[in-house]
Amino acid sequence: MNVLISGGCKNGKSTFARNIALRLAGDGKRYYVATMIPCDDEDRARIARHVADRAGLGFETLELGRKVERCLELADPGATFLVDSVTALLLNEMYPGGHGAGVDPDAVDRCAAGLLKVAAGAGNAVFVSDYIYSDAVRYDSFTEKYRADLAFVDKALANVCDVVIEVCAGNVLVHKGEWEP
Amino acid sequence: MELIIGGAYQGKREYAKRRFSVEEGRIFTCREDGEIDFSSRCIDRIEEFTLWCVRNDADPAELFRAHRDQWRGSVLICTDIFCGVVPLEAEARAWREATARLCAYLSGEAAGVTRMFCGLAQKLK
Repeated sequence: MNVLISGGCKNGKSTFARNIALRLAGDGKRYYVATMIPCDDEDRARIARHVADRAGLGFETLELGRKVERCLELADPGATFLVDSVTALLLNEMYPGGHGAGVDPDAVDRCAAGLLKVAAGAGNAVFVSDYIYSDAVRYDSFTEKYRADLAFVDKALANVCDVVIEVCAGNVLVHKGEWEP
Repeated sequence: MELIIGGAYQGKREYAKRRFSVEEGRIFTCREDGEIDFSSRCIDRIEEFTLWCVRNDADPAELFRAHRDQWRGSVLICTDIFCGVVPLEAEARAWREATARLCAYLSGEAAGVTRMFCGLAQKLK
């Protein structure tokens, strides 16, 4: 089963996603696909905390900031994969030469294709994205393009996922499929 | 009237075409210039019209109310720009609130209200 989870920031998406992944995995193997590439010590400290949080839950961590579909080769593809997050993955794919280098115009297609491969090939996959589409801000063209691209990837995932969930201030809205909290 | 709201790029316009058989050529797309055709089969990007209103001391809800007969059978589309953090800039604050008030009025008038999320339709009314 594939599940897409989105919503605003800091409202429980990752915790909720982790619980869904645990339920889907049952006694089977579960992998945490970490897509954030740390830029400084603050990032590294946060990542270390997250790794410790997950340790007791039996997740093995795969750090894949780009080409996320490699998780299917690095691990047992029949397992459960928690991909956190689509947002960070797209950003990394936009800068294949590292942040600060040139932007790759094909990033959005590559990112979507990689995620769809994971959805098609994994035993179970849970994808976490961010809902960044409902504010009264006129963004610069780069940010606006990023928003449009992330929405493209979100919609592609929503189309193939069995369950699509929005987490809103810790509450759960099921937009597609069925999920008993 | 059918009202479709939701975030940017969530598939609102595509849904209007698919669900309500709106032809592309019959959609009026608002820009910041204040032009609007209330009698269109479908009006998209109403948040652009509300931005013009705010910049020109006009109340978008009043303007819609005054032309109610023309859009009563239409499909109206607006981005829900009113969900984020309260902006520091006064114009953005006014824009956000004017758009929210207009959507609340239109929701009351609508036969159906749909919110789009990642391309999926959620029936609100």
